[in-house]
Amino acid sequence: MLEQQLVNALSLGCVYALFALGFTLVFGVLGVINLSHGAIFMIGAYAALQVVTKLAFPLWASLLAAFVVAGAFGFAIDLLVLRPLRKRNAPHLIPMIATIGLAIAFNNASQGLFGAENLRFPSGVVPDTQLHFAGVQISVLELAIVLLSFALMAGLLFVMRRTQLGRALRAIAESPKAASLLGINVEGLFYLTSTCAAALGGVAGVLIALYSNAVFPLMGQPMLHKGIAVIILGGMGDIRGALIGGLFLGFAEVMSVAYIGSTMRDAVAFGLLFLVLLVRPQGMFGKVLERKA
Amino acid sequence: MEWFDNFWSVYSNLVLTIGINALLALSIWLTLSCGLLAMANAAFMGIGAYTASLLTMNAGAPFPVALAGGIVAPTLVALLIGGPTLRLSGVYLAMATLGFGEVVRVLILNAESLTGGALGLNGIPQSTQWWHVVLALVLVLLILWRLRRSRIGRAFEAIKEDGIAASLMGIGVMAHKMLAFALGAAIAGLAGALNAHLTFFIGPSEFGFDRGVDILTMAILGGTAGLTGPVLGALIITLLPELLRAFKDFRTMMNGAILVLIVLFLPKGLWDPLRFKQWFARAPRKPDSMPGKAA
Amino acid sequence: MSFAFPVRAPRLFVALAAAGAVASSFAADIKLGAAEALSGPAGQYGQSIRNGFQLAVDEINAAGGVKGNKISLQFEDEQGKKEQAIDVFKKLIFQDKVLMLFGPTLSNSAQAADPIAQGAKTVVFGTSNTADGITSIGDYVFRNSVTEADVLPETLRVASKHAGVKKVAVLYGNDDVFTKSGYDAFKKALEDLKIPVTTTETFAKGDVDFKAQLTKIKASNPDAIVLSALIAEGAPIMVQARQLGINLPFIGGNGMNSVKVFDLAKGASDNLWVGSPWSLGNQTPENQHFVVAYTQKYKAAPDQFGAQAYDALNIVAGALAKIKLTGNLETDRKALRDALPVATHTGATGAFKFRQAKTKDGKPAGYDAQQAAIVSVTKDGKYLIEK
Repeated sequence: MLEQQLVNALSLGCVYALFALGFTLVFGVLGVINLSHGAIFMIGAYAALQVVTKLAFPLWASLLAAFVVAGAFGFAIDLLVLRPLRKRNAPHLIPMIATIGLAIAFNNASQGLFGAENLRFPSGVVPDTQLHFAGVQISVLELAIVLLSFALMAGLLFVMRRTQLGRALRAIAESPKAASLLGINVEGLFYLTSTCAAALGGVAGVLIALYSNAVFPLMGQPMLHKGIAVIILGGMGDIRGALIGGLFLGFAEVMSVAYIGSTMRDAVAFGLLFLVLLVRPQGMFGKVLERKA
Repeated sequence: MEWFDNFWSVYSNLVLTIGINALLALSIWLTLSCGLLAMANAAFMGIGAYTASLLTMNAGAPFPVALAGGIVAPTLVALLIGGPTLRLSGVYLAMATLGFGEVVRVLILNAESLTGGALGLNGIPQSTQWWHVVLALVLVLLILWRLRRSRIGRAFEAIKEDGIAASLMGIGVMAHKMLAFALGAAIAGLAGALNAHLTFFIGPSEFGFDRGVDILTMAILGGTAGLTGPVLGALIITLLPELLRAFKDFRTMMNGAILVLIVLFLPKGLWDPLRFKQWFARAPRKPDSMPGKAA
Repeated sequence: MSFAFPVRAPRLFVALAAAGAVASSFAADIKLGAAEALSGPAGQYGQSIRNGFQLAVDEINAAGGVKGNKISLQFEDEQGKKEQAIDVFKKLIFQDKVLMLFGPTLSNSAQAADPIAQGAKTVVFGTSNTADGITSIGDYVFRNSVTEADVLPETLRVASKHAGVKKVAVLYGNDDVFTKSGYDAFKKALEDLKIPVTTTETFAKGDVDFKAQLTKIKASNPDAIVLSALIAEGAPIMVQARQLGINLPFIGGNGMNSVKVFDLAKGASDNLWVGSPWSLGNQTPENQHFVVAYTQKYKAAPDQFGAQAYDALNIVAGALAKIKLTGNLETDRKALRDALPVATHTGATGAFKFRQAKTKDGKPAGYDAQQAAIVSVTKDGKYLIEK
């Protein structure tokens, strides 16, 4: 059983990581905790669902739809809400509160539009095959999620470390004022980051909706709570942290179910979180200093 | 008085809830005034509610004792976790306290034999009278008002502006933060105890993330400049579901939209004395060519 | 021909007119209230319930109402929140002055709001409250939602008979009142039937991944999995179980009694046993009439919530037919309360009567449902009734 649980932990951890990557990106570059990321995640899933059911398009088209629609929402949020608050130099907790309001609005709007019940993707959109090896099994979809999260992490790290764009983003993460003095198009990159992070969130939404067989208006909220735990464990703003933190949380949850008892699962996860905050608040890879102006 | 009797039988719960929510909003205002975004007040409310209810139901304690228990328990917890937690600041503190809130919720859920777990505590006697809520609110407002005007209040402001400078000036930053945190917990606990004895029933899901967001919204909406803001915010947020009944399915959506609009357009909240002054102040006179004339 | 006639005529005329006025004032609408969760997370149940009520009201009114009086049912949204339930109850009872009210949707809300109705001596009739501590509030509290404690022993008995179940694993949601009290009922029933439990696992609302729990369950080698869940988690659990190669039967509480399971767990929905007073496939004439009417009106198959609401309204209408409405609210409310306990009805959920419950101190209190459970198993997208 242990081997299978390890595989379960891996796939669950990557599910969390997939959500957390977009979430942490916004904090890293914009310095904002975007609590509407859960709603964006949900919007991506619904967009994909509409494309598949109403237009009968295949899977790749629905992923593209989720990417585009969620990205558009991310852009709009940045343009209409985050940017005005930036211009006003609002203390960083104010945008967080605004994103809370957006999340409430989006979640409930989608309930009004699509109904509160669970929907699912038509079967057959993703092959249901299970892969068996070495006494454990994993489904094709889970494997895809695992590979994708590692690939995304690698890709984002590459961009961050080895490209001009990455250097610019890191400069902004240090100090937006200094970066703009250096001639970097700070506003433009803020838009880009918000859009890409949201697009990633939307794609995560589709994949996880397929994985869990459930699309419903509040689907982003539990993921958001887990996402908060992941980025705290891994370090807020750090890309490696999103993946490692996700794996850590997945591992902690699965192992506590398997060997302690499933009732204590959430207590263990949040207890760990709390401990990390007390002992090493910046998480595994985070920086200690708060960002300068 | 028949009109009043009718009104009261329909709306008594609403009015008392406004009072209790005002207490909650004030509790978070207190921590905010010291520069702490501590999102743990929903959890403290829960601890207060459960302690008070268990005292009433299991130990047969009289109401004042239960209320006292509901105040003391969260204060003790706050003092316990305050030490390590308050070393954090800004978003880290917010996240830590959110995490703490979840830990409390899970503990309540799992301590079934004591708290009833997911089934909650049912059949709590309805001991809360209108004057309890009024008295609590008046007392808390009085305490906070005096606090604001005292050295402690000024120390809070200093810490809020710049914690390092404040400590360099000799203000015991940690001690003051603990005071704000623990007192906030006490007020939230009182609100929880009163609420539990008003609605016959409490369950773990009422004291989680959603409640924390509600409390924060009330304070931010109303405005954190003074004591009026949180009370106003509590009034509006509590009444909003009633007022928005016309929107039916989209009611909660309006809640969220309103929050965004307030943050965008009224950053200091509704009750902003500075803004009022600006509205009602005379237009500044153009500087005269005559020297010595005040503007 | 007496010449006294014209003298008496005006009095006769006045008397007739007065009688006419009195009669017409009696052909007034009967005002009932329904406080249900029409929005919020419990919204899907509240909407099914509303549909059931509306169908019954429309049918009764189309047939002339109750003794000529039409029923006017006022819906209010209590959003699945206990504070809202309290506020809405007060509004319906004191402001709108309804004769009685239905609801609320969730057990938690009922525990908070029903005392209001009891204190105001107004009948409150729950159609979806299954937890403890509700009918024990007092003698104005009624419900027709059969508790799990009544249904599960029957489900277990039938399932183990047909599926040769000797030992089970248990999986339940530990943060939801409905699934948790379902678990409590299951636990007791399993003990009474002396069926050993190989392992007990839990999950939380909103979970997407159940493989850790299911892997552990598989390793403990049970003959069946007892599942106390709502469809939102229950369907993914069934799918993931089948994916992990667990082909055991599932024995579910009545949260799993919904045709949505065929859609949400497509391909993995077979071999699920559920017990409930209502089943879509039950061929009684009353149920078929209800199913056809509901499907025609709402373009969707009904579920248990709709069925129980439909029957509840008919039960109340039946009781109303037996009392005389005087127009005095207090008197009428009491008359209805006195007439209800002996009401019986055979509706979509079968033969129904009330059974009195007790308060915590053992005194007589409110009224629970006394109904037989129907056990069905899923096969090829249908519920098949088994005995």
